[in-house]
Amino acid sequence: MEKILIIDDEQDILKLLSMSLRADGYQTLTAPSGKEGIEIFKNKKPDIVLTDIKMPEMTGLEVLKSIKGIDHNAQVIIITGHGDIDSAIEALQYGASDFINKPVKSEALAVAIKRAKKKAAINRQLKSYTEDMELMCGIATKEFERKSKFQEKLIKISTDGIVATDNKWKIVIFNPEAEKIFGYKKSEIIRKLDARDIYPFDLSKMPDDKIFPYKETIVKSKTGEEIPVKFSGRILYEKNNIVGSVGFFQDLREIKRLEKELLQSERLAAVGQTVAGLAHCIKNILHGLKGGGYILDIGFKKGETKKFEQGWRMVKSNIARTADLVFDLLSYSKEREPEYEPYSPKKLIKEICDLLQENAKEHDIQLLCEVDPLLTDISIDSKGMYRALLNLTSNAIDACIYDHDLDAKHKVSITVKKEKDNTVAFEIKDNGAGMTDEVKKKLFGSFFSTKGSKGTGLGLLVTQKLVHEHGGTIEVISEQGKGSSFIIRLPLKRG
Amino acid sequence: MVKKILIVDDDPDVRLFNSTVAEENGYTAITAENGEEGYKIIKKEKPDLLILDVLMPRQSGLRLYRNLKTEKAFKDMPIILLSGIARRTFLRSQNALTEFGGEEVPEPKIYLEKPVEPEELAQAIKDSLSV
Repeated sequence: MEKILIIDDEQDILKLLSMSLRADGYQTLTAPSGKEGIEIFKNKKPDIVLTDIKMPEMTGLEVLKSIKGIDHNAQVIIITGHGDIDSAIEALQYGASDFINKPVKSEALAVAIKRAKKKAAINRQLKSYTEDMELMCGIATKEFERKSKFQEKLIKISTDGIVATDNKWKIVIFNPEAEKIFGYKKSEIIRKLDARDIYPFDLSKMPDDKIFPYKETIVKSKTGEEIPVKFSGRILYEKNNIVGSVGFFQDLREIKRLEKELLQSERLAAVGQTVAGLAHCIKNILHGLKGGGYILDIGFKKGETKKFEQGWRMVKSNIARTADLVFDLLSYSKEREPEYEPYSPKKLIKEICDLLQENAKEHDIQLLCEVDPLLTDISIDSKGMYRALLNLTSNAIDACIYDHDLDAKHKVSITVKKEKDNTVAFEIKDNGAGMTDEVKKKLFGSFFSTKGSKGTGLGLLVTQKLVHEHGGTIEVISEQGKGSSFIIRLPLKRG
Repeated sequence: MVKKILIVDDDPDVRLFNSTVAEENGYTAITAENGEEGYKIIKKEKPDLLILDVLMPRQSGLRLYRNLKTEKAFKDMPIILLSGIARRTFLRSQNALTEFGGEEVPEPKIYLEKPVEPEELAQAIKDSLSV
């Protein structure tokens, strides 16, 4: 129910209006003067004010002004004297909702109040719209702030250095990681430095809207230090206009340092392995020599010829092992100079076959040697090649001895023949144990051996080196359980 | 009864040396060239002591040691490891095998590194057999 405040100095009119409005279903308040009216307005907040214009002390216009001062949206209807148009216009200028003439006719009053009510309703709605709008605006602003703060944070904590510019290449974003990489403080760079001085590549040459893919490169820091980084970037467009650019930098210093350390430690490990491998070889030889000496001692003490023989053979075989090890080590370490001379391949193969025949027979292995009779002398380091071929052939015999297939008819063959392109090929083939892929991979690594205490792990390494010294190649074909084949190819004329 | 010692080593010199030491000290010595052969002989001959090399072709001492220590019939058979491989390397390899899903095996009681003095080996044999 709307509350209507009626202000009039004439008690009768006051009563009349009040009664008539109540009859129409309004709640009414009355005040006999402007002053009292304003007080009531302040306290009771009526929806509509109806005031006479002509009153002693305070006129209706003054009441209007002061009520509008209190509440700009207040609905005030002025009651003017008959024909007093000037006052009415003035009242409207001051924000009166409407005016009615005296004597007040109830229809005119009803219309005026209806209009005031409508205006009040519109006002209320407007107000709530505005308030809503303000509220929405506030929420949107907050959301926007939150988002931009979030993005700012993201940029800040990014492990990539991020540099962004406006469309004139002036830097507008320079995150802490970028500070770390370039050594500039954000404050000395923002809107001061041209990003083209920092970007390692000219981004403007990138095709439209394409991202420059991550590439390893070098950037210069403030102090001129060269920093290894991975860089990516792109030009930023908005509706086909360039609005800026952004560059991402990943600091590679730590990775590079770790790589270096790893390399170093791998090298140390390799040295350690070499020393350990060598120590293992020497320990075995020493153990053999000690054993030989011990058995010789027993022979001396007891006068037993058999122990004599055993002990002496042990000492001799371990002296030979020492000599082989020294030869291998010297070949391996380049201390030994190869001596080239014309040499018969037939003679070379025969020496090897003669030496190994007995061992092969002992293990029921057929050892075949086949040399192309038309082959003439070739220029080789005979001691080196002898060693290389001996290594491969005794490996082939061992591969047969170690073969799990005990029923197999084992065979090792050495063939030498001339090949088309002025090379001579030595092939050592066996049908022994064959090699796993893992063994094949490690084959030419230092101190790698599958032969237990017998293997120095240097044989193939040295063999390969000797072959390479001759300008030749070595090929390995092997299948586990089927056998292996090693082919050495030497050029007939060394370059 | 004379105690029987099995020597497993791929190096004939070592087999001869070790068996001479054993025989000189009043034991019977038998030999095998690798882990595989060694295991067959152990089952057949039931030796009182095993002197075992580590690095051998076919089957290593690493594997034979594991197999014996995890087998009820042989887990209490005394073993002397005698190798050019350092004790530390042996243990590290055993640990690696355990980590790869193997059963945990006890550390060897006696581990000798080559070269070994004959007296040292004789003493180790005596100690192992007296327990």
